[in-house]
Parts: sequence; C-alpha cells; structure tokens
Amino acid sequence: MREMTFTDAAREGLAEEMALNPMIFVVGEGIGPRGGNFNTTVGLYELYGEMRLRDTPISERGFTGLCTGAAVLGAHPVIDFMFLDFELDGLGELINQTSRIHWMSSGRLKVPIVLRGGVGVASTGPHHSSNLFSVFMHIPGLRVVTPVFPADAKGLLKTALRSDDPVMFLEHKKLMKIKGDVPEGEYFTPFGKANIVRPGTDVTVVAISFMVIKSLEAAGVLEKEGISVEVIDPRTLSPLDIDTILESISRTHRLLVVDEDYSPCGAGAEIAAQVMERGFYELDAPVRRVNGAFSPAPYSPPLEAAVVPNEITIAQALRDLLVE
Amino acid sequence: MANEVTLPRLGWDMEEGALGGWLKKEGDFVNAGDLLFTVEGDKAVQEIEALDSGYLRIAPDAPAAGVKVPVGTLLGYLVSEDELPSFRSTGSPLTPISSAAGDAPGLALASTTQTNSTVTVSDGSAKDQAARRIYISPLARRLAESLGIDWRKVKGSGREGRIRVHDIQTAAVQLEAAPATVPATLDGLAVVESRPAAAVPAMPVPSIGRVPMSPVRRSIAEHMANSARSVAPVTLTCEVDATQLVALRHQVKEDLLAENGPVPSYNDMLAKIAGQALMEHPNINARIDGDDIIFFSSAHVAVAVDTDRGLLVPVLRDVQAKSLRQVARESAVLFEKTRQGKAAYEDLQGGTFTITNLGMFEIEASSPIIYLPQCAILGVGQIIPKQVVVDIATEKVAIQQRMALSLTFDHRLVDGAQAARFLQRIKRLIEKPFLWLVG
Repeated sequence: MREMTFTDAAREGLAEEMALNPMIFVVGEGIGPRGGNFNTTVGLYELYGEMRLRDTPISERGFTGLCTGAAVLGAHPVIDFMFLDFELDGLGELINQTSRIHWMSSGRLKVPIVLRGGVGVASTGPHHSSNLFSVFMHIPGLRVVTPVFPADAKGLLKTALRSDDPVMFLEHKKLMKIKGDVPEGEYFTPFGKANIVRPGTDVTVVAISFMVIKSLEAAGVLEKEGISVEVIDPRTLSPLDIDTILESISRTHRLLVVDEDYSPCGAGAEIAAQVMERGFYELDAPVRRVNGAFSPAPYSPPLEAAVVPNEITIAQALRDLLVE
Repeated sequence: MANEVTLPRLGWDMEEGALGGWLKKEGDFVNAGDLLFTVEGDKAVQEIEALDSGYLRIAPDAPAAGVKVPVGTLLGYLVSEDELPSFRSTGSPLTPISSAAGDAPGLALASTTQTNSTVTVSDGSAKDQAARRIYISPLARRLAESLGIDWRKVKGSGREGRIRVHDIQTAAVQLEAAPATVPATLDGLAVVESRPAAAVPAMPVPSIGRVPMSPVRRSIAEHMANSARSVAPVTLTCEVDATQLVALRHQVKEDLLAENGPVPSYNDMLAKIAGQALMEHPNINARIDGDDIIFFSSAHVAVAVDTDRGLLVPVLRDVQAKSLRQVARESAVLFEKTRQGKAAYEDLQGGTFTITNLGMFEIEASSPIIYLPQCAILGVGQIIPKQVVVDIATEKVAIQQRMALSLTFDHRLVDGAQAARFLQRIKRLIEKPFLWLVG
C-alpha cells in the first residue's frame, strides 16, 4: 500500500487507462500544459501531447456535443469541466443527446464518455459550489459516481473508463488533497457496490461524497458516548446499492442520510423513499436527513460554515434520531 | 395477572353460543376446576369448569343468559385478591376501550398511551388522553404482532411516548418473567391473552442459560402451535418402491453432466410428482377460508429447509407447469438463498402443499405437522435397500430401494379415503416414474 492524495490516485488511474487505450483523450480548459486547475492531468501532456490533452475555449455546450459525437464513433473522451458547475452550460447536450443516443438507436450506438469536475462547497461561492447529484441521478442512462477515498477515486475512474455509458465523475473539492492508502497494481472498483466504511450497531448513516468524512468524525464523537454508528459510502449514486443500505438497516433499524446537496428531491429523498418501499418494517424511527441549506452557497466564510453540515450538526442529528 | 373468562368453543364447528347462567356469584372465590358457568350449545347445556383460580368479577358488558354471542366473547375475570380494588364491579380497566362506551367517565387508564384513537370520550378531562393516537414504529409493531403482545397497552419510551422496538422487547421479557398472577398494570405492561396458572408449582430445574427466541423461532412456534390447536390431523403412512426413481435420477444426472446445471434432487422429483398428483386431486390442493373451501389452480409446493436460523419453507411455484429441469434450477437457487438467510418474504409465502424430507438424517418415517393454511404435508423418509417378496407363489424375493411416505392431512377438509387415494397416486408415480411423461 502507498499513501496518495485523491487527485494523484485518480490521475494514476487515468494515466494507466490512457496508456492502454489510445482512444482515450481529455478535453477541458487548462488541462493541457497547465495540468488542470485541480492537477487532474499534471504530467500527461508531456506523455501524450496536445492530440490527447486538448485545451478548449470556454464553450461547454460545444465540446460536450463534440465529445458525444467522438464517443459514438468509438473514442472514449474525458471531459474535465474543472468546476462541475460549468457543465450546466452543456446540460442540453448532455441530457438530450449524450444520455439518450443509446436508447434512441435501439442500443446500436454507445456513448462511452467520462464527465468529471469538482463539486461541493469549498470557499467557492455560488457559481463554483454546486453538487447537482440528484440532477444527474434523475437522468436515465447516466452513471453518477461520487468517490471519497483515494483508492476509490482511482478504482472508480478506471471502471468509468471501461464503461460503455456516460459517467458523471463528481470529485468534491475538499477531498482532493486528502491522503489515503492506494493498493499497488491494477484494480477496479465496481459501480453499484456501496462500502460500509465503519461498521456499527445502533444507527446507519448513508453519507454522500465529502459528508462521509464528516460522518466518520461524528461517529467518532458518538462512540465516546456509547453510540455505535455504521457509516456507508454508496460510492455510486446511480446505480445505487440500496441492498447494502437495507441490509444495514435490518441490523440498526435507524437511518440518517447526510448530503451536502439540497434536500428537496435530493439523493436523500430517493434513498428514504426506497427504504420506505422495501424496508418499512425494519424501521424503528423515521428516516432523517441532514442536508446543506436550501440556498446558493454564500461566499462569506461564516455564512458558508452555517449552510453546510459538519461533524457537530451530524452528531446532533444522530442523537436526536436515537431518542426518536 | 387477571385471567379472562370467555365463551369456550365446544366443538370444531361452533362459532357462537349462549351463556346459560353463572354457577358462582360475583365476588366468589373460584378454584380451578370448579364448575363456573353453563353454556347452551346446539345440542345440550354444558357445565364449564374454571381453568384458573381467583375472585369472580363478571364483566360489565357480559352477555345476558340466553343471548347468542361469538365464541371468545368476554364473560368475566378471575382476579387475585391484590387486584380486586382495580376490578370494581362497575367496570374494569382491562375492558377493551372499543367496547367501553358504558364506562364511568374519568376511569383513567394507567398510562396515556393506553388509549385508542377511535374512541371519543365526552368527558373533557379524559379527552386529551383518549383522542391521542398511539405512535409506534413499523418494526416495533411488527414485532409486537408476531409476539402476540397488545402494543396499545405498552408504554413507549420514544419521543412523546412513541413505542419503539426496545419497549416491545422489554415487554416481552417482562411477560416471560412475570408469574401468572402479576397485576396487568405492571410497568405499563399488559397482555390480552391470559396465561392459566400452573396447577402445580414448578420445581426449579437447573439451566445453563436463557435467550430470547429469535423472530424465526417465534414464528415457527406460533405456526406449529396454531396448527396443533386448530387442525384435525391424520397421518397415513406407506412404503414405496423407489428403485425406478433412483434409476431415473442416475439417468438424469448423466444426461445433465455435460451441462453443468443442477442435478434434480429427490425433493425436486417429489415436488414434481406432488405437483401432478395435486392437479389430479384438487381437494388436497385446497384450504379452508372461513366457511368456504378454496381450490387452487396451481401447485405451489413448499419444501422444508433446515437453516442456521431454523426451519424455513421456501415455495416452488407452479411446479405442475414446469419441467423437472426447471424445478431443479429454481430450487437450487431458492434453497441456497434460504440457507443463507436471503430469502424474501414472498419466497416463503403462498405454498399449497409441503414436502419435508428427513431422509438425510436416516429417518425412516415421521408424522409431520401441517403448515397452515395448507391441507396436507408429505413426510419423506430415507431410501433404504430392502429385501421384499415380489411374488408369493414363486416365493421370489428382490432387493428394492424402499422409501417411507407419511402424509398428514387435515380431516376438517378431506376424508381418509380421499387422502389415501392421493397418497396412492404419489406412490404410483414414484414406482413408475415414466407415468409423468403421460402427464
């Protein structure tokens, strides 16, 4: 095992797949010689040159459509949006074309494409802090991937680069510099397989993206109070591994969903609904959610701190849920 | 705990009856075994003995003599001396609220959670308590119902008295520990079903531990007791020549070897045979529903599977319409799922007939218990090579693979001859498996 940052591990996965598959190329703003705003492509331009690391003008709709066409014709493009918020300018292409061509061609055309970008609130203000998880979960045909740990960042990106479907690869900006163990050698992390990152017996937390880290901190606090918290990282939101969540609830009988994204129609709403449909009689308390405030992310640091969940608010929500 | 006195069922078909009259007076002390009251049945007046001891308190809404009421209707209570004050003759805290319209106003219950939302009480002081719904978690409710605990009388420890699974577990443990004479108000706990006091004080027997029953164990216990209580079981046994069945299985095995598919087990073959026999004998493929009998168009054969969690009976559906190979394939997956504890609720529901095979434990014959609401269950014994006389005239003997079958059927639903014909048909199909081809 080695220790690597999330970004370094993901980049290693990209480099390995680029070496194996000449049809993989990356487009985006500043991903060429500059190596990407978030260092996602550092060193790759020197290896593969401008044909495979192509800087673009600021024209998200244009290059989303262009890469969709390239994917249909056999390439495996990676669009690096830098901040995922910028993808919103290409949303029409993404939903109407990228996600639907496979169906509209009766399965004859495939669109293997990876759309990646930084998500989450990280001192980044209203235009650069979107999570948009549920926007993409809502679209049939898209895979929605939310890696948390460096090993998964690599393993899930490699799986994405072997997938025949469009994959939204959503990297929380606060995770990018976090270090963790990464296995040697080649491996893939499957889609649709949640990870129980901390086993527990009293209550289940399903946490999304960076909230896994905060939930683990909260679980550590509650352990001292004699409360055993199980923390699940779904790893992919679409497909969603509801079976692992239900299995956990069948042991703990209580569920809290922690998501920095907004609560209305969010990932937590979907998870709660599925749990109600399939696990109602396992519940000893209502499903609870902790979400970011229903507002654009403010730029002021004190305000920002107030709108995102943290280990203190999560721990309090868990205490409340346990006396429910 | 107060013991309820209810109108007993004097015959299987008795649904209602009338109180003839009390043989004891209100407030009398009654010993278990004393004649307590009479019941007017269809045929005669019968004197009924008290099952428990205690002071008689006639229920305020007890039926008058001669009025027909359903079996199980509450007539009164036998209460201990300690409980007498709470059982004033005007009413009773144990009377279900839904039938307590005549209760004196302000007859407060032990806890605010012990009320029923469907009742509106005109008395203002009781209104808030009576009108509030009882909140209970889905899990707690399911557990309470599986344990037969009346959760309306359990005090909840959750927010605003909401009942959580922990409360039901506590109630279950208290119920287990409570001697039969403990007042019903113990720590907010009360149970509807009364427990008859043991006639003789139990001698303590040394034990090595006490554990709560698992949900599966409880469910099995409930099913079995219910079946033993309500069914009129008769077991028919016979021994069959399974030589051809064994040969068939070998042939099928060889044929399937190349395919890597599951080889049909004897249970699969017996399920298939039972499926055909059930189609030919629809009166066995049936169940009682109220006063009606429902005949099923499909044979859903349940097979008893021994698992770490206890006995489970996954159901093979529509076996009559499936090939043996299909049945084998489905049963391989289903039984494995069951053994691993992953069988879904639906996988264990809807059987119309059950097969239980103890052959692997070298059991020769058994008398299985019917899995309600089914009509019959087939117990299968070990296949043993035996020497049998095949022709008396020539004194010819042969060695055959013999297998014992035990068919337990519900005599409420079918008669002996009908069941015997069904078993005979199964025997025939086992001895001459090529008859399946004919269908």
